Amino acid sequence: MDRNGIISSIVFIISIISIIYALIFNPANWIIIGISIVGIPLSVLSLGLIIMARAKKDEEEDRRREPFIGY
Amino acid sequence: MNLMANILLNVLIAFLVGSVLLGLYRKVVARVQSRPGPPIIQYLLHLLKFYIKESSFPKTAAMPFYIGIASILMVIWISAVIVGPVTQGSLLIIFGIYAIHKIVEHNAGSSSGSPYGKLSCVRAVYSAAAEVPLFAVLVIIYLKTGSMGISDIINYQAVNGPLLYAIPLAAAMYLVLIISKAQYTPFSITKGKDIVSGYETEHFGLLRGYLMISESIMWYMLLWIFLTVFLGPISPIAYIIGMVGITVGIAFISATSPLLNPNHSVILQIIFAIIGIVGSILMLNVL
Repeated sequence: MDRNGIISSIVFIISIISIIYALIFNPANWIIIGISIVGIPLSVLSLGLIIMARAKKDEEEDRRREPFIGY
Repeated sequence: MNLMANILLNVLIAFLVGSVLLGLYRKVVARVQSRPGPPIIQYLLHLLKFYIKESSFPKTAAMPFYIGIASILMVIWISAVIVGPVTQGSLLIIFGIYAIHKIVEHNAGSSSGSPYGKLSCVRAVYSAAAEVPLFAVLVIIYLKTGSMGISDIINYQAVNGPLLYAIPLAAAMYLVLIISKAQYTPFSITKGKDIVSGYETEHFGLLRGYLMISESIMWYMLLWIFLTVFLGPISPIAYIIGMVGITVGIAFISATSPLLNPNHSVILQIIFAIIGIVGSILMLNVL
């Protein structure tokens, strides 16, 4: 897994754990609101970064060399 | 209900209802223009397709700002859900969220490095001159109800009847604001067809999907605020009917009216704002 994938996975796990923590342990309201405002957007973004399609190795090289073919 | 569960549920409802309403919007625009149009769930499908699509980031993008600004859009509209349906807090925070939304439009355009994005970025600043006065509708609501709290405003309407009848010009001003946030309406200059997709032009793939999720929450919240602040305590069914009605109405406007150029759009909005503010203050003093 590349560097972006590892960072995204870590962020996703942390944000999901914080959301589950708020769901189960019901901490003070300001903590829950903080977790919602930061955790939900981060979990959605990091999940997207993890599951998005990636170019195959050989395709990647072609794209880098001729990025504007077809325009 | 647990606060976190309440927030998650409301965000999910806002996302699903908002995306279906935006799909309906496109369908109505198409039908008015005698096209079959996409299915109503097309916006949702489109969004999911983008979300899992392979993404690359332009060389000209200002990283990590380019990604961060997309996150800020979601942060602010999730905050709006918390301040609105979840806690029924202050309208003043909603005003702040709207102001930040203008900043996001501006910065998303400038962070990409695309000329279309930059044009949209300039237009976002330009249009803020008109849309922020329109949001002064909140002052009129305060003058009428004596409170900025959404729960207080709901209680006021439960006793005195909907504000829509008491301050109709303020409601009209807010409606103009909603129109300016819909796609291809006369006032939506930041995403006009002439600049491709405006500030979103270089946000494609995953980031476009991410922005679309935020925009569906935004659409739901704009309609929710209108219905709550001007119609008062209404049932969930009435919310759905109201949201569908307003979306269809704005889709008609979008389908049958031209895209105004930025100068005309802003001047027209300022005229609406002046008529709305002066007229409402006069009505408040007379009635």
